[in-house]
Amino acid sequence: MTTEIGGTPLLARLTRGLGFLALWLILMGPALTDLPIGLIAAAAATWTSTALWPENGKLSASGLVRFLIRFVPQSAVAGVDVARRAFAPRPALSPGFVTYRTSLPPGMARSASCAVMSLQPGKLPVAADADGTLHIHCLDLREPVAEQIAADEAAFCDTLQSGGVHG
Amino acid sequence: MTSLANAFTLVAVGCGALLFLAGTLGLLRFPDTLSRLHALSKADNLGLGLIVLGLLPQAESFAGGLKLVCVWLLAQISAATASQLIAGVLYRRKSRP
Repeated sequence: MTTEIGGTPLLARLTRGLGFLALWLILMGPALTDLPIGLIAAAAATWTSTALWPENGKLSASGLVRFLIRFVPQSAVAGVDVARRAFAPRPALSPGFVTYRTSLPPGMARSASCAVMSLQPGKLPVAADADGTLHIHCLDLREPVAEQIAADEAAFCDTLQSGGVHG
Repeated sequence: MTSLANAFTLVAVGCGALLFLAGTLGLLRFPDTLSRLHALSKADNLGLGLIVLGLLPQAESFAGGLKLVCVWLLAQISAATASQLIAGVLYRRKSRP
């Protein structure tokens, strides 16, 4: 099918819409009386997703698997790390800011990478300059933060099929 | 088999509750607002993940289990986004002369 609306093929939009409708059905149950609301929600989600994430932004399945294998344990380590510091008689913290020059272009990819980083141990991106400099709040500046951020970003870039690193 | 599943539920949900306690302790004990945000987003996410994992063997159907996992994923995405937005506002206020 080659019909295109606003740059996104109709078939791709339909697939996304069906995906969102499936998510609605999982969350709300298959009651027929709720279905009109589900259809409206799925349409709204599809419209939003096409604006935020154009069809050319493809993901690499193998990259995504490698990313998840790294992300899930790291996310657990982040929770345990915070818990350890919170339960310590004196919270062992050395908070402060670091800057890191990201290679991701502004937009969805950079925002998503920042959201992922905020779930990794000890890091929380707070601002991004126009030249790609990220300001990141760290719980403990004594740790090798810059190396961790570079490794996190490399794992994230691995999920983008186009690489997303030219910017 | 059921008792094994129940034991797993007890341990996982217990650990999840402990992590929620840690998040709250961090919120109260950490020295600045941005550090408190770390405590809330990271500890609570793992806590919710463990609670969901613990409840999975108790789910009545596959759809019920899938719903639990979807709720956790949505909570994780919203926590990551919200903590970043709050941190951004705080940082801009701080750096404003």
